[in-house]
Amino acid sequence: MTRAPLLDVRRLAPPEPMERILDALADLPTGGRVRVLHRREPFPLYDLLRRMGYGWRTQGAEDRFEILIWALDAPPSQAELDERIPC
Amino acid sequence: MLNTAGLSLDQAPPIGVPFAFFLTAPLFAVAAGGLLLWQGELILISRWTPPALVVTHLIALGFLTQIMCGALLQMLPVLAGSPVPRVVLVGRATQVLLILGTLSLSAGLLWGGAAWLTLGGGSLMAGLMIFATATGIALTRARGVRRTVVAMRLALVALLVTLLLGVLLVVVLLGGWRLSGFVDWVNLHLAWGLLGWTGMLIMGVGYQVVPMFHVTPAYPDWLMRWAAPLVAVALTVASALMATGQGAAATGWMGLGALCFVVFAGVSLDRQRRRERPRLDATLLYWRSAMISALLAAALWLAGGRAELVGVLVLIGVGIGLPSGMLFKIVPFLSWFHLQHRQVATRRFDVRVPHMHTFIPEAPARIQFGVYLVALLALVAAAALPAFDVAPGVGKSLARLGGFALVLSSGFLWFLLARSFWRFRGFGL
Repeated sequence: MTRAPLLDVRRLAPPEPMERILDALADLPTGGRVRVLHRREPFPLYDLLRRMGYGWRTQGAEDRFEILIWALDAPPSQAELDERIPC
Repeated sequence: MLNTAGLSLDQAPPIGVPFAFFLTAPLFAVAAGGLLLWQGELILISRWTPPALVVTHLIALGFLTQIMCGALLQMLPVLAGSPVPRVVLVGRATQVLLILGTLSLSAGLLWGGAAWLTLGGGSLMAGLMIFATATGIALTRARGVRRTVVAMRLALVALLVTLLLGVLLVVVLLGGWRLSGFVDWVNLHLAWGLLGWTGMLIMGVGYQVVPMFHVTPAYPDWLMRWAAPLVAVALTVASALMATGQGAAATGWMGLGALCFVVFAGVSLDRQRRRERPRLDATLLYWRSAMISALLAAALWLAGGRAELVGVLVLIGVGIGLPSGMLFKIVPFLSWFHLQHRQVATRRFDVRVPHMHTFIPEAPARIQFGVYLVALLALVAAAALPAFDVAPGVGKSLARLGGFALVLSSGFLWFLLARSFWRFRGFGL
């Protein structure tokens, strides 16, 4: 599978990060993923993802969080889950 | 940072509550501009003329307090996780009484008449007491964002003191009481209203919204810890000195309060200079002009400059400028926020919610700022001219130009806010 493009929203003011992520999800092909680089943990997004039927995995701390998002009917492999975004 | 972890969409008040305040406020600025257009020279020649007192209250109560009340009702649940009890009823009652009170007080100050002044003072007392009680309850339950909550609590106390002093001054005007050092008491009323209620609320809100909306470093903790409490201490000591007949010493303590706001303004400009994105949007332009106005006003006041010029810088530069700029962020954000909420509630994930910046596009917002800036500069020049002994015709023309530009810019502000609301209402969700 080709690597999902990276969405770096670290320098955007709210609610632009959420807008960009929702746009990317709306355009997501079947089996696709959205990879996000965020400056904080986006708790309001999680609530939305849960209701919309997406799963996610967050890694990171302080001002750098990596979030991998996928449709619940197409879960990622362990290799995808373990992958880290290079600094 | 903003405590988004505890942010609940369900806790926010209905969007009609804050929007009713935000859409009414610019109409009072239009009225203030109209009065400046009509009697600008008289207003800027002395702060004690009846139209000058009316313009002051149209801006301070009709525009500024109106927006601050609407913003607090909206922000308390979102920032501090503490909804205001019976928010729709409280919002409506506060607003009706605030509008009635501002108009009646203005009529009383302009044309005289005990009935208008009594109705104005009474309505404002009732409306703002209802507001202060409800938001006071919410603020006692608030959690998180401690520095902001402390600043908001102190601002609310300052609102009550301003109100009590205002009612006292109305009673004196009505002949019900004699007060020695009337001018000093007016200055104290002004200090509690502008430095206390307005200044401390700007600080508390600024600590959250500046880093959030412009992606700047957080305000330093020493500032957030000390600025608002020091303003409160300075105003309290000034009041005690005033009550014991030591007017000169009281002015010195008010100066300390002003210095705290000067430091806040300087730090705000520095934080915004260090923002992540170099884009200079209309909100940032407003913040800059407002903070520069505040710095100039403080410097002029400390140097004993013309009170009318200080008044223009504080009321038009900060009092109209800063809320206008904030509304350009708050109104689109709320529109987006509520549509997002509605989408989740109806599970209509097939619909794309419009982006926040489409509610008030940047280009007309910048034009609005440009017209406002013409108003500010013309009125500053008109208020400064008597000090330079320039021909009176020049001051009159500048005052009228400033008034006209204020009518235009405030009308345009109303249109942009209303169009954002119509867009929200018209969206099929």
